[in-house]
Amino acid sequence: MIELEQPVEAGHEMRAEIRRISNRTRARRVATSRVMVLLCAVALTLAAVPLALLIYQLLKNGVPVLNKAFFTTVPSTPTLIAPNATGGVSNAIVGSIALNIYASVLAIPVGVFVGIYLAETESKLATTLRTIAQTMAGAPSILMGLFAFSFVVHDLKIGFSALAGSFALAVLMLPVIILSSEIAVRNVPATLREAGLALGAKPHKVSMRVVLPSALTGIVTGAILALSRAVGETAPVLLVIGGGFTNTWGLLNPVSALPLSIFENAKSPWPSQRAQVWGVALVLVAFIFLVSLTARIWASRKQQVRN
Amino acid sequence: MEQKTMADMQSKTATTESTNRGPIAMQLRDVAVSFHGRTAVRDCSFDVAKNKVTSLIGPSGSGKTTLLRALNRLHDLTPGAKVSGQILLEGVDTYRGDLTVTELRTRVGMVFQRPNPFPTMSIYDNAVSGLRFNGVKKKALLDEAAESSLRSAALWDSVSTRLKVAASNLSGGEQQRLCIARALALDPEVLLMDEPTSALDPIATLRIEELMTSLKSRVTVIIVTHNMQQAARISDDCAFLLMGEDRAGELIEFDTTEKIFNNPIDPRTLDYTLGRFG
Amino acid sequence: MTQVPTDLRKHEEVVAEFGSATTSRTWYFYVLLAAAVLFLLVSIGFVGTIFWSSLPTWLHGGLSLLTGKGWTAPNGPFGGLAMIAGTIETSLIALAIAVLIGLGTSIAIVFYIPRRLRNIVATLVELLAAVPSIVYGLWGLLVLAPWMATTVNPWLNKLPFATTIFGNPGQEFGTSLLLASIVLGIMIIPTFVAISREVIAVVPQDLIEACLSLGATRWQVIREVVLPTAKVGLYGATFLSLARATGETVAVAMVAGGVANMQFHLLYPGTSIASWIALQFGESTSKEVAALMALGVLLMLLNFGLSLISRSLVNRQRKLLATV
Repeated sequence: MIELEQPVEAGHEMRAEIRRISNRTRARRVATSRVMVLLCAVALTLAAVPLALLIYQLLKNGVPVLNKAFFTTVPSTPTLIAPNATGGVSNAIVGSIALNIYASVLAIPVGVFVGIYLAETESKLATTLRTIAQTMAGAPSILMGLFAFSFVVHDLKIGFSALAGSFALAVLMLPVIILSSEIAVRNVPATLREAGLALGAKPHKVSMRVVLPSALTGIVTGAILALSRAVGETAPVLLVIGGGFTNTWGLLNPVSALPLSIFENAKSPWPSQRAQVWGVALVLVAFIFLVSLTARIWASRKQQVRN
Repeated sequence: MEQKTMADMQSKTATTESTNRGPIAMQLRDVAVSFHGRTAVRDCSFDVAKNKVTSLIGPSGSGKTTLLRALNRLHDLTPGAKVSGQILLEGVDTYRGDLTVTELRTRVGMVFQRPNPFPTMSIYDNAVSGLRFNGVKKKALLDEAAESSLRSAALWDSVSTRLKVAASNLSGGEQQRLCIARALALDPEVLLMDEPTSALDPIATLRIEELMTSLKSRVTVIIVTHNMQQAARISDDCAFLLMGEDRAGELIEFDTTEKIFNNPIDPRTLDYTLGRFG
Repeated sequence: MTQVPTDLRKHEEVVAEFGSATTSRTWYFYVLLAAAVLFLLVSIGFVGTIFWSSLPTWLHGGLSLLTGKGWTAPNGPFGGLAMIAGTIETSLIALAIAVLIGLGTSIAIVFYIPRRLRNIVATLVELLAAVPSIVYGLWGLLVLAPWMATTVNPWLNKLPFATTIFGNPGQEFGTSLLLASIVLGIMIIPTFVAISREVIAVVPQDLIEACLSLGATRWQVIREVVLPTAKVGLYGATFLSLARATGETVAVAMVAGGVANMQFHLLYPGTSIASWIALQFGESTSKEVAALMALGVLLMLLNFGLSLISRSLVNRQRKLLATV
């Protein structure tokens, strides 16, 4: 048995003093704690309030504008005689659909394959590509517009076109899809891969036939979320698609897009055009919210089934 | 069935006998803990004698740790947790009495299974962290308390020259002793220890067991251990818990260590101490 | 926010031991490799093209892009100092807003919101992130700007030191650097919350219990143990939010006023690097395009740098917790 290195009785005064201070300061400390809880609750409210206000404004100003003509007619310019003759935004809807389909065709296959590559390889190339993807995923989207302008519009001499816009959006989506695909593959339980390999199957077949189907939900979710982000992006397309008032969707023609129509008309002198802009914004936000929520709910249901 | 009822009666008798234990630090009366309605441990009634080591023993799952954590109201953090019965500290109900939970915890300290010194703090800062949390700022007081508690934990000699070094530089055993010093700095009446040596090597374990025995004169120690030999070595009183068929732990027998290990009343206690089940 | 899969180590072990799709040279391997190489080329092209297109500006004007105060279209001289100043000013104020509100929000979500509600609240904050930049810009322009012009700005100008900080633009415009900072701040709150929440939530439970067992109040636990332990990761969240703020283009373009004036008064219109590119690109000559590309290079370097710092901090935080 060891001896205490200091007798028990010494330091009694110190202990009493500690207890005194402790009791004296307790009320204040507990009160401070309560105040801080309150402040954190205030912060949470402050974070939620702008969203609530925004949604309110979107609904209040956007809903009245949504009618059949809004979705089916092309825009027209109001005149003094007909100040409400704004037409609709069918050109922007068609353009956005076209742009995003082309961009998906470009970005999703390549992105998924690179993601699988990163998950399956432990090479210097893989690490480098991962860092590149992480960097590009956070890059300002206007840089993709600059890239598309320089390369597609200028160097390839294609000019302002849907191709240029799709290219910009594809470059935007690519790193995001790569990262989410890699995570989806890595999240497949390693035991599944082990089981396939233990049955004697070759590694690449195991990857294709066993791991990949299991990762599919995550991959699809990631691609859908990347797409929903691209739909709302203005900066990449602003510089390169040219705009226009007709329902075109050809690759080599200038096209319009929903975010672009908002950007162009927000500062319009005509109140009717400014009002219409709210409708476009509402459609955009509603679409993105619905897609994001659906994708997440679907993904979590599949996760639950698997568990 | 009849045998069980007999054992029940006898364990209650054992509790009554314990009133001859001398000064009492804490009393448990029909303490039960449940989570979202499902009972985890129940019917715990015994007295913890002052300045003695009381151990809670039993196989894993028997609710020992759950019971221990009720003693410093750690279950307050867990949503859905409910503690019923009475836990008295020097006669005051710790849950419904006039005692704030923060004050309770300065009088009932805790040491955990895995050593957990605060990683961003030095050895000195760790030792006095309890004091700082309780509003003590005077350097002279902090210095004195640091030295006192580190000496009590038998750590002073090896760290006095490097007090400002990060706590993570210590070995596992030293870190655990730092955690003990940290708890002792507040001069608690009771020290709860949740399997304090299970993550340590045998030599460190031995040193901490020696420490616990010497600390008795200053604090009352309540220790949870799954190591029977340890309980037999260091504790004065023993509470044996067992998981029942409904997966709730219950107190089977409480008595002096001597009696529990040499002449227990309940056959299940005997089975456990003889190692018939883990 | 990307999450780290929990059995990452085991995945690597299996791959190392048995091999994977890329160990043997099958057609599948070549497809994957081709995609990887394609991505590499695209990323090199991304950086290279913008840099290449900006060369004329650097060659003609040297570093005057960084120091010049005026932007004279169509032929120059092109000075980006006003944009740089605007970017710094709006981003820093936005960061202050986002960190203050975001930190409180994260703490509330992790420690004070009951578990059942936690997912709903977290989803709400993520929805904030899903709103596209242009919608924030629209809201700022058509709703907040008039409100600023009629209600807030006159009030702000009555405060002491108003003229120094805010300036007194006379005309009540509404669009200003201040409004841009506020809208920007709102936009980057979800970025900060996403990372800080994760970093705070993984502080080990037994540290929290140890702290409480010493008689600390809940706030003391957060301030003395949780936040210091998560400190490095929180800095990472800060840098990432700053990176995002500097790159925001469209919202700032719509509410900052779009004027390249080299000044710091908050109520005056101003601009940022990214928004200037967006606003000027439409009718620019090839000389101006090159200058805008040069601004793009600047933006790229700034963003990549901040992003890199952020990632290394978050990684350091992860390693720190692995040893605790």
